[in-house]
Amino acid sequence: MKRTGIFSMLLISLIVSLAGCGRTETKKADVVIWHWMTDRKKAFNELAKRYQAESGRQVEFKLFAPSEIYSQKVRAATQAGTLPDIYGILGEKKDFAIFVKAGHVLNLNTEMSDNIHEWRNKFFSKALIVNEFEPNNEFGAPAGIYGVPIDVTNIQMLYNKDLFKKAGLDPESPPQTFSEFITAGKKLKKAGTQGLVSGWAETWMIDCLASNFAFNIMGEKKVMRTYAGEVPYTDPDWIRVFSLFKEMADSGVLASGIVSMNNKDAEQNFANGRAAFAFNGSWCVNVYKGMNPDLNYAAMFVPRVSDEYPMLIWGGAGSSFMVNARSENKEKAVEFLKWLTDEKQQAYLAQDTNNLPANKYSLTNISPLLSQFAQTMENTTHPNIWPRHEKSVVIEAFDIGIQSIILGTKTPEEVAREVQEVKEREMAK
Amino acid sequence: MNHKRNDIKYKVRRFSSGAMVNLFLLLIAISCLFPLLWMFGSSLKTQATVFSDMSIIPKVLHWGNYYRAWTEGNFGVYFLNSVLYTVSVVIGIVLVSSLAAYAFSRLQFPGKNFFFYMFLAAMMIPLPGSFVPLYVLMDKLHLRNTPHGYILCLINVGLSLSIFLLKTFFDKMPTDLEDAARIDGCSKLGIWWNVALPLAKPALAVIVIFNSLNVWNEYILALILFDDAKFMPLQVGLATFHGEFVTQYHLLMAGVTITVIPILLIYIFMQKHIVKGLTAGAIVG
Repeated sequence: MKRTGIFSMLLISLIVSLAGCGRTETKKADVVIWHWMTDRKKAFNELAKRYQAESGRQVEFKLFAPSEIYSQKVRAATQAGTLPDIYGILGEKKDFAIFVKAGHVLNLNTEMSDNIHEWRNKFFSKALIVNEFEPNNEFGAPAGIYGVPIDVTNIQMLYNKDLFKKAGLDPESPPQTFSEFITAGKKLKKAGTQGLVSGWAETWMIDCLASNFAFNIMGEKKVMRTYAGEVPYTDPDWIRVFSLFKEMADSGVLASGIVSMNNKDAEQNFANGRAAFAFNGSWCVNVYKGMNPDLNYAAMFVPRVSDEYPMLIWGGAGSSFMVNARSENKEKAVEFLKWLTDEKQQAYLAQDTNNLPANKYSLTNISPLLSQFAQTMENTTHPNIWPRHEKSVVIEAFDIGIQSIILGTKTPEEVAREVQEVKEREMAK
Repeated sequence: MNHKRNDIKYKVRRFSSGAMVNLFLLLIAISCLFPLLWMFGSSLKTQATVFSDMSIIPKVLHWGNYYRAWTEGNFGVYFLNSVLYTVSVVIGIVLVSSLAAYAFSRLQFPGKNFFFYMFLAAMMIPLPGSFVPLYVLMDKLHLRNTPHGYILCLINVGLSLSIFLLKTFFDKMPTDLEDAARIDGCSKLGIWWNVALPLAKPALAVIVIFNSLNVWNEYILALILFDDAKFMPLQVGLATFHGEFVTQYHLLMAGVTITVIPILLIYIFMQKHIVKGLTAGAIVG
């Protein structure tokens, strides 16, 4: 009897909960935005309030984190036709192209070009390229600008000023050239300090630094010709790129265990003063602030190896928003994005979230460190905007090869030969 | 004299082997408890001291982290949602799976084996593989972004394994008691209610704990199906502290400590049944 009573109560509570928690219709906002940026949640909500106060329009930011789940939600919503007015597409450019070709993203060419490119000219040029498809692009997407960058990012080097002082180096003049970098690393080692830390267990970071050096040594054209199969990896310039890693390893500039270090550990090491140099993205400003608010450091451009070609570092749009081409509120959505990327709002976002603003005219109000990062935006490049791309198996062989050089198990020449063999196998397919 | 020496030898051997076993179990217990202790200790540190202070319990205790985790993670709303989802889903699974398992075990109907194997096959499909079709289906049924849509999905997710466990249990159950109940005039439903379910208590306890844990820790499907934050479960609140590049470990650990408490309580109150459930076959026999 007692059991029957308990079971009946549970059953009733199940029915009541199922019946009671139905879909409650609330007033829909004028513009709904889906995003994944946890660290920008507060700032976005504040901006939505300000926009409503200025324009009377209600904008609702909806956060879905982590980003992997967010991406799945966006994909599912495309199938059901329930995408919001504004959203972001994560992943590579080929994924972006799929959305564009399926008609889920509004072409913003007209809006960007209005009033003699008024909107377009506000952005760092590199920030827009990532969101743009050129005519006859390799993805087959119709030409146009399909995304609005809300911040930018780039990857360069950081150095610890206190450790520099301790090693007798001038904290206000970091190394500019590769040989100066090696000399500084040796001095730091003598003073008992580890040199460079970076998350080189995550091979894309090795790839990033290696391509910085490659662009500087042989120029973009030759790098692209290599990807096209016209220049072999056994070319002296590529062997020079591989040799730089050997030089760093041999001179003791690299922190011990760097090839098995993930970026989180590397960040921790740099933040706690256990290494003098770090190779990291502009997002690190936020990371180091959380780990050690008193860290005395500055950014420095990746030391150049040659004066023949410019050193180009990886960078471009950090996060971008796209307008749903099928949205009934697309005009309102575009209006909001114009407001969001205006100087005032961009400066607020940068100050509150420590991300680099996409609007190049909003740099006056940001911290000196962020400003250092922002000043190099015109010297950035990114695989997403390259006309040619290397095959993933070749990239894998390339990165693992560099790890082997650092570990001392292979020579630069051996790695060059191995990478070229993989490349030839891929080309033959 | 010899007898006494043997007795001492035996006692020493028994003591030393007992001490070894206890030491081994102690080490296992420490290795299990250490992450929990680290979680609790980190929940009382600051973001900077999580990385610099290696002590388990810091000198300065920041109890305010719990308040911040609760308010910034919107735990007030999410906690109630999680309780509602867990209770509803577990009741639903126990009801449906016990009825279905009893039917599969005792009733004869066409396609019985086919349907049972279909349920088993469903166990092999990982949940992420069904996100897109589930999203589209829920949207077509107007159940997306509704708590009952989410509850129904989770009941469905938990059914396969629960039916499998209970059917195995019912298959081993002697039919004599059911025959006696039938002679006393019990219907099929009456036998399920008065005979099968009371005997299946240990297996039901395992199903309850297993599914409670699953539902309590679920957040992926919730993020996919819900658009409104007010419907989200507790685990989504934890994601607030896990940024793209920066994780607020002190708040995350405070949040995790809060979310772990209800599950720990369920374990403590049901541990007797869980042990029984794990040896369920022997009990039925």
